Amino acid sequence: MDNREVLVDIKNLRTFFYTEDGVVLAVDGIDLTIHRGEVVGLVGESGCGKSVTALSILRLIPNPPGKIIGGEIFFHGEDLLKKNEEAMRLIRGDKISMIFQEPMTSLNPVYTIGDQISEAITLHQKIDSAEAKKRTIEMIHLVGIPEPERRFGQYPHEMSGGMRQRVMIAMALSSNPDLLISDEATTALDVTIQAQILDLMRGLQKKLGMAILIITHNLAVVAEMAETIAIAYAGKIVENSTAKEIFKSPRHPYTYGLLASIPKFTEKRTNEPLPAIEGMVPSPYHMPKGCRFNPRCPFATEKCREEEPEILELTPGHLVRCFHPIES
Amino acid sequence: MRDYIIRRVLGMIPLILIVMIVSFGIFSLVPNPFAALIENPRIKKADIQRLIKAWGFDLPWYLRFFKWFSGVIRGDWGPSLLYPGSTARDVISRALPVTVRLMGIEFLVSIAIALPIGIISAVKQYSVTDYVVTVISFLGMSMPTFWFGLLMMMLFSVVLKRPSGMPLLPAGGIITPGLEEAPFWAKLGDRAQYLVMPVVVLAFSSLGGYARYMRSSMLEVIRQDYIRTARAKGVPERSVIYKHALRNAMIPIVTLIALSVPGIVGGAAITETIFSIPGMGSLFIAANVKADYPTAMISLMLTSILVIVFNLVADIVYAWVDPRIKYS
Amino acid sequence: MAEKAIEAKKKGQKKSSEDYTYAGMVFHRLTRHKLAMVGAFMLIFILLFVFVGPLIWRADPNTQIEGLGGLFNPASRAHPLGTDDYGRDVLARMFFGGRISLFIGFISAISSTLVGALVGLVAGYYGGWADNILMRFTDAMLSIPTFPLLIALASVLGKGVWQIILVIVVFGWMVDARLVRGLVLSLKEQEYVEAARAIGASANRIMWRHLFPNTLAVLIVSTTIGIGGAIIYEASISFLGFGVQAPFASWGNMLQNAQQFIWNSPRLIIYPGLAIFMTVLGFNFFGDGLRDAIDPKLKL
Repeated sequence: MDNREVLVDIKNLRTFFYTEDGVVLAVDGIDLTIHRGEVVGLVGESGCGKSVTALSILRLIPNPPGKIIGGEIFFHGEDLLKKNEEAMRLIRGDKISMIFQEPMTSLNPVYTIGDQISEAITLHQKIDSAEAKKRTIEMIHLVGIPEPERRFGQYPHEMSGGMRQRVMIAMALSSNPDLLISDEATTALDVTIQAQILDLMRGLQKKLGMAILIITHNLAVVAEMAETIAIAYAGKIVENSTAKEIFKSPRHPYTYGLLASIPKFTEKRTNEPLPAIEGMVPSPYHMPKGCRFNPRCPFATEKCREEEPEILELTPGHLVRCFHPIES
Repeated sequence: MRDYIIRRVLGMIPLILIVMIVSFGIFSLVPNPFAALIENPRIKKADIQRLIKAWGFDLPWYLRFFKWFSGVIRGDWGPSLLYPGSTARDVISRALPVTVRLMGIEFLVSIAIALPIGIISAVKQYSVTDYVVTVISFLGMSMPTFWFGLLMMMLFSVVLKRPSGMPLLPAGGIITPGLEEAPFWAKLGDRAQYLVMPVVVLAFSSLGGYARYMRSSMLEVIRQDYIRTARAKGVPERSVIYKHALRNAMIPIVTLIALSVPGIVGGAAITETIFSIPGMGSLFIAANVKADYPTAMISLMLTSILVIVFNLVADIVYAWVDPRIKYS
Repeated sequence: MAEKAIEAKKKGQKKSSEDYTYAGMVFHRLTRHKLAMVGAFMLIFILLFVFVGPLIWRADPNTQIEGLGGLFNPASRAHPLGTDDYGRDVLARMFFGGRISLFIGFISAISSTLVGALVGLVAGYYGGWADNILMRFTDAMLSIPTFPLLIALASVLGKGVWQIILVIVVFGWMVDARLVRGLVLSLKEQEYVEAARAIGASANRIMWRHLFPNTLAVLIVSTTIGIGGAIIYEASISFLGFGVQAPFASWGNMLQNAQQFIWNSPRLIIYPGLAIFMTVLGFNFFGDGLRDAIDPKLKL
């Protein structure tokens, strides 16, 4: 059991997108808890609703066509979904920050990075611009960019992808938020840079103590960083436990399939092809009846095709949404 | 940057040459440009011979071109056949300010209306406002200006009358005869009434284009990742639009504006003709109708050169405004 | 995928975007676009008016009524739109004028698009000095403001239908050339071109069989909107007296004629102008909708 205070508690979040071609049930009943200072990983394939969950927390869902139609998101005990826009604006960038996947396009090309970081500071803190500049340079230094004074006046296009992502992190952490949401922040970077950024994030987490929600499709990333991992599939959470548990004994067939498909050094080499999960992610317009994973599940039974399983706590701290979880 | 400008200026020279050749060439297709003069009994044959010689029509076309070319460069633009006794240069210098005044005002009115409605249209995409603006833009772009001009004339000069029995707005001309020497403000007020209809006609057709351009540029920018970043930072929506988005959206618009400047000098031929405004446009038409080819050639050439020059200006402005552009 | 579609149909669900062909999707989006449909109706109406009209209302556009009493008649049973300054039936002149205006608009737009596409294809595909020369030339031509040029050429070449078409084409191809060249430059880098070259396809074949079809969508939109522009050019030129000559009617020269009679017979101005306006509006609405339907994200 986690003794730390509950920071974010998402209960039964439902976010749908109303498009011309139909309704997309992007997030259909997601529960997630993040404690103070905890690093939580949210893992799943493209389209499973993880980014939409993150955007829902900050209420950045484009409307139209998206709409958060149900559930509650408690932050420090208050339901974010009931707050008005101005209250949310004060939270964004200050108490909850987010960094995004594409560093190449996530910074405004016509303003210097110094300006953009300072803006984040002056928006939420009552300090003058000289002081803000000082803080900005400190932040630039904190994220590991050399020659911070010179970089202050540079434009985003003068920096590499990795450096831009560091700038994003600087912007996000400038007001010392309680929660940092990282939405596939390292996906677009090459592997060595990715490692550096993850190191940076880990270091900053130890230093500043904020909670991090790491959203990724890459199991290796969460293996390094996360204490707790939630696996998402087709808009729902299908498994949630500590990182150790997930990797040691995955109980949901999907998780099991994901782990099995990772090539490992330690296994003996056979000439069999790498196991892959059969089938494809269901179309968001045509969700299968019953358990959403059933068309691809090797253990599916008639019950799975008819009813949707609830999420149950099989062992303390280990939640699984399946009628036939794998034995540990 | 300096090198770039020098290279571009040098590159303009062949363009200008081509333009001069084309201008000259078109009017050379006419076998005998002085046919109209020969008909006129008041003009002595000897004078016509002199003109022919002065214009080099006794020479083969390539020599004639050089003769014309050197004349033009020296400032000798030839005689005006429309107004015998004046040189083409005189005639053009009289027409030019009239057009610049009309088109300048029209341009300012157009932009002042088009840009804001373009922005609002983009921000409130698919709203009623957006549809209305879109429809108005299309109406403006599809409306034949001369028809609209005639309709306005019908309405404001024929149907609507002042208490005195005079038309509500004058049907043509630029100033009430007799007021040429009046004090500035009286002249201004008088001039204004002559400008109302032509400005409305011209502005209505051009603002459609500008508004749509602004709208599409704005829409393109609003979709960008860095706008999402700004919102995630907690930037208030108004700043998101007017600080973050607009600055980027204006870049192509500024270029568009620079490219529109030549139009200000070229004038709107038909509208000027309908409203009897003695500007460059109606001069050009009159020159064509009455076979005053020297004037027509020069007029065509001038406008074209302005276009070329302002193309360069547009590029320079673009580089100045967008920090990403680097011209080595 | 096919099974899903069958399933969906059985359950009566709406088809989703995965179940259509490309052309089907374009059509589907087009029919949902309100302005495009308005434009389409306007165009259908105009086309019917101009082609079917004369079959219903048979009057000769050039017959002049004798005597002053026949001039400037307002709407009557004999002449639903009245008569003009020569006593000719306005409705009939509208029909035939429309045919000429539409003909000119259509032919010039298509021709200039084709010429432009050719130039753009060659310049874009070959690159190098061919590209350089062609684009310099295109730029120079673009610098010369079209309208004065049209007038200039019209006055020099003489008056008539084919002259106008020639003039519009000669000065209208540049936009398409630029468009196509840009498109070809980006398409050229795509892998299917490399693949085609690898199996030994000739330049010609690559250009026509692979690149050109991909530019078609853009060209169709450009042509549709170009027709609107060409009609306005024709009307303007005829309005100034250079284009279609009497006794033939075109909407443009009907307006020119009517200009002098603004004081006593304003309806002579209203009808042809309205016709031009509606036609151009129709093409613009439809063309814009077409552009959105072909690629909703495309910003031309």
